[in-house]
Amino acid sequence: MARKFSNTALNNQLSGFQKVYLILIVGFILGPFLPLIIQSLAFRWAWPDLLPGTWWMEQREVSRMPLAWDYVLSPYSRILEATINTVVIGSIVTVICLAICLPAARVLARESFRGKSGFEFFLSLPLIVPEAAIGIALLMIFIRMGIAGSYLGIIIAHLIPTIPYMIRMLTAVYQGLGKDFEEQAMILGASRWQVLRLVTLPMLLPGVVAGALFTFLVSTNIFLLTFFLGQGKIITLPTLLFSKISGGTLDASAAGITLIVTLPGVILLIISERFIKEEAFGKGFGN
Amino acid sequence: MTEVRLNAVQKRFGAFTAIESIDLDIKSGELVALLGPSGCGKTTTLRMIAGLEAPTKGEVLFDGHDVSDVAVQKRNVGMVFQRYALFPHMTVEKNVTFGLDVRGLPKKEISERLEEILEVVQLNKFRKRFPAQLSGGQMQRVAIARTLITKPSVLMMDEPLANLDTKLRGEMRRFIRDLQKRLGITTIFVTHDQVEAMELADRVAVIFNGKLAQFGAPQELYQQPNSTEVADFMGASNIFSAKLVAADRAETSFGTIDIMSQPGLKPGNDVYVMLRSEGIDLYPESEAPQGAQNLISGKIKAREFFGASVQYVVGAGEDITVAEQSRRLLDVGQPVVLSVQPDRVWTIAR
Repeated sequence: MARKFSNTALNNQLSGFQKVYLILIVGFILGPFLPLIIQSLAFRWAWPDLLPGTWWMEQREVSRMPLAWDYVLSPYSRILEATINTVVIGSIVTVICLAICLPAARVLARESFRGKSGFEFFLSLPLIVPEAAIGIALLMIFIRMGIAGSYLGIIIAHLIPTIPYMIRMLTAVYQGLGKDFEEQAMILGASRWQVLRLVTLPMLLPGVVAGALFTFLVSTNIFLLTFFLGQGKIITLPTLLFSKISGGTLDASAAGITLIVTLPGVILLIISERFIKEEAFGKGFGN
Repeated sequence: MTEVRLNAVQKRFGAFTAIESIDLDIKSGELVALLGPSGCGKTTTLRMIAGLEAPTKGEVLFDGHDVSDVAVQKRNVGMVFQRYALFPHMTVEKNVTFGLDVRGLPKKEISERLEEILEVVQLNKFRKRFPAQLSGGQMQRVAIARTLITKPSVLMMDEPLANLDTKLRGEMRRFIRDLQKRLGITTIFVTHDQVEAMELADRVAVIFNGKLAQFGAPQELYQQPNSTEVADFMGASNIFSAKLVAADRAETSFGTIDIMSQPGLKPGNDVYVMLRSEGIDLYPESEAPQGAQNLISGKIKAREFFGASVQYVVGAGEDITVAEQSRRLLDVGQPVVLSVQPDRVWTIAR
């Protein structure tokens, strides 16, 4: 009886309701991309038409490329500069964030000290204080220090909202990793550095990758802080997009930029997914 | 072959004293159990021998040399953790050779020693597997192999049989004993289970509240405990207060019985007498032997049947527990006579 039950549960994996639910979720996530893709391929699309009045295909004698992509790929769009800025800033922020959060998470996960819970609350403050408030305050300080409108200023600003997430994720990962493994490695003769390189980091890897990915995505999506502290001198994809759509219209070129903006995240997600899977990681930790 | 000695070792964690003061002398090649309830300091003691904790006071000596300040990496000890702590991202082979790899030994020597040790623990078939693909017993053998391949001077184990089911326990017990005898390596293990301690160890150190309560062979602890706490922990059931009326006679609430005289105990002393439940003979009243020593009459109050053995509680002024092979079964309420040889009565000073 039990066998039969488990068989049906395995064979018909999803019920009708579950399938509908899944399709709704997929639609909810992918739906917003649909008008963007259509828009980027339109020649003219005006209210109240449900679809573009004129498609680019019909006008290909006039414009050899879709208007959106023609603009996006031209140097006037500054999209290459913005992409490079976004990726470079995101990468540096991720590395610095890891360097700060790994040791901190280790202490938070393993040691107990006076005022620990207060400290943990303090760490999540940047998530509570509005970004605009942080941005304006930082801008005043950074102008005095002369690092407003510089990469350094933006990187420091990006660390503020990313550190709380990273610390939380890494603390949870460290809590899952008992002291046993590191002590065992030491007894077997491994130096501190060997323990870190051969045991701790590989075992933390899935958590570190997830944390790094998350930090990178948050950093590449920060608009307000970048906008305040970049002072227009440093543009990233979000600020570029904002300047394009701040007029209130979503034209073809804005749609094109929007699609470009989503690319780094998607690419990174695919890479990291493969990376984590390829780690032949055992589930059992010895029990 | 290393001799381990703890010399007045004390360990404090802040205001908390884990180990009051412990002296322990472990002979080379001996298999010793540190036995005690959880929180008694036995694991701390083991960790100090391993070098994972530094003693607050006193010294740890290996072959007469003080190693208290020697880093854990340099101490050349081996430890098998309770949950084995196999590195989940490495295969069995990589786990086993870890200790040699980090020491930077030549590849050829590593692979020779790997083959040798895999043979010993019979894990050749599993060498390419990851820990998650092994059973509990196999994981433990990997953990032991990983430790032994480094040729440690002292082998330590934390609750080596605790995570195994009954059938594997017997197998691993024989495996550990054989291996230990064959290699002659000084071995110390920690357990809270007195059965596990008696099954495996040459000598058992009983630790209560950070102090060494008694250190001796299993049968000595079992039959001649030096305190009621030790007796209780070793599973004794019949401990009664008594008064010595002569060097070899004790007055109890179930009558005056003959005992073996023990040095240090004088007539008039208040003592405890301990009667091992399996050392007592039980007779139905009609079959009671005539003129035997130490006859105690009573009535069966309860019976517990364990298959091969059966345990009775006999009311005779005190409740006395008697265990015997279940070749016959007596009924609750039946009047019986107990008989105990004086040399099976152990006396503990009060």
